[in-house]
Amino acid sequence: MKNINKLKIAITLLVLVNITNVKAQIIKAEIRATGLTCSMCSNAINKQLKTLPQVANVETDLNTNTFTVTLTKDNNLTPNVFKEKVEKAGFFIGSLIITVPTIMTNSNTYIFVEKENANPNELQIKILDKGYVTDKEYKKLLKSLKEIGSYSLHNENDYHVKIIKV
Amino acid sequence: MKNSLIILLLFIVQKGHSQELFVVTDPASNVPANSLGVNIMQLAFKKKFESGYNYHIIPELTYGINKNLMARGTAFISSTSDQLVSEGGSFLLKYRFFSSDDLNSHFRLAAYGRYSFNNSDIHQEQIEILGHNSGFETGIIATKLINKLAISSSISFEKAMDNKPNYTFPSAIGDNATNYTLSFGKLMYPKKYTSFKQTNINLMVEFVGQTLNENGKSFLDVVPAIQFIFNSQARLDFAYRQELMSSMLRTAPNGFYFNLYYTFFNLKK
Repeated sequence: MKNINKLKIAITLLVLVNITNVKAQIIKAEIRATGLTCSMCSNAINKQLKTLPQVANVETDLNTNTFTVTLTKDNNLTPNVFKEKVEKAGFFIGSLIITVPTIMTNSNTYIFVEKENANPNELQIKILDKGYVTDKEYKKLLKSLKEIGSYSLHNENDYHVKIIKV
Repeated sequence: MKNSLIILLLFIVQKGHSQELFVVTDPASNVPANSLGVNIMQLAFKKKFESGYNYHIIPELTYGINKNLMARGTAFISSTSDQLVSEGGSFLLKYRFFSSDDLNSHFRLAAYGRYSFNNSDIHQEQIEILGHNSGFETGIIATKLINKLAISSSISFEKAMDNKPNYTFPSAIGDNATNYTLSFGKLMYPKKYTSFKQTNINLMVEFVGQTLNENGKSFLDVVPAIQFIFNSQARLDFAYRQELMSSMLRTAPNGFYFNLYYTFFNLKK
C-alpha cells in the first residue's frame, strides 16, 4: 500500500514537472510596431526579425506596420525576443499577439488576467505587459489590472496575457 | 523664390505621411542597431566672389552601436584648389535619450557631439565643421511625427579651432556659434504601400541658421529636397541650398547636394 502511495506521488510529481517544463513554444507572433511610417523603417524591423534562425517567415503589412512571424517547430523563443528585435531596429511594440498551444495555459510563463473557458489546441494571446503595448494602453491597464499584484512588478520571466479569440 | 517656398512648405505641412531622413540635418532617431549606413554626399556650391563652383565629396559611414547610440565617421574631400584633395574628417556620436512612440507617431529627443579636423584655409566667417573648420559641435535634436508628418528641430553650439597645421583661426572673427535647424518632411508616394520594392518619394524643406555668439552676425538658409527610396534600402537625395539672409561673410552659400545612401542591415547576427 505504501509502495502504491509512493508510486502515486512519483507519478503526480512527474506529471507536474512535465507540465511546468512544457517549452514556451510560440507558433506564430503578430507584432504591430509603433513610431514609424516609412518602408525603410519597416524593413529594418523585418531584417532584424529574420536574423533569428527560429523564424521561418515574416509577412509585413507596411500600411499598419504589422509583422506576422511564423516560427519553426520546437523553438524556445519567448516574447521578449521580439521586443528586443523591434527596439534594436529603433522602434517599439504597440501590440504583440502570439499563438501558443493550449497546454501553455499550465505554464508559469503566462499569467491569464481573465478566466478562459475554451480549450482548443491553439490559443491566440495578447501580451499586456509594459513594452508590449502602447504607453497609453499601459496606463489604462495599470488601473484596470491593479488587483493582479504581479502586473506592476515588471517581472521579466512572466507575461500577463489575455485570450484574443478561440 | 520666397513665395514658391511658402507654397511648398504649406503643401508639405497640410498633407499627411512623411519621412525624417533629412538631407542636411539629422533626426533624433538613429540607424538600426548593428546596421551600417554608407553614403556619399556630393556638393557643388557656387563661388560668390569668383566664377565657378566649389566641389566637395563627403563619404560617410554610420553604424548603430545599440538601439540608442549611433556613431558616424566622415571624410572631407574638396576641389576648392582645382584638384581633389582630402581636407579632413569628422567623428560623431548621437544618443537618443527619450522616446514616446504611438501607432504611426513618435516624439524623440537625442543629444550629439561631433569633432572635426580640417587642414584647408579659413576664408569665411561662417563656422562649418562639416568640411571647412576644425572644431566641435554639441547639441540636442527633437523630432516629432504627427499624423505621419515629420518635424524636426535642433539647437547646437559649435566652436571652430585652428585648421592645423597651416591655418590658425583668425582672432578677428568669432570662433563660436549657435546653430538652429527646422526640418519638415513628407512622403509623397506611395499613397498606399504594397511591398518593400516600391519606390518611395519624399519632399522636404529644411531651414538652417547660425548666429556667431561674439558679434551676433547671422545667416539663414533654406534647403528644399526631393528624396527617392529604392527597395526600402537605398536612398537618392537631390537638394538645393539658398541663402535667405546673411550678415556674415560667406564665400559659397548657394549650391546643390546630391546624396547616395545605402543601408547594410544586421552586420553581426
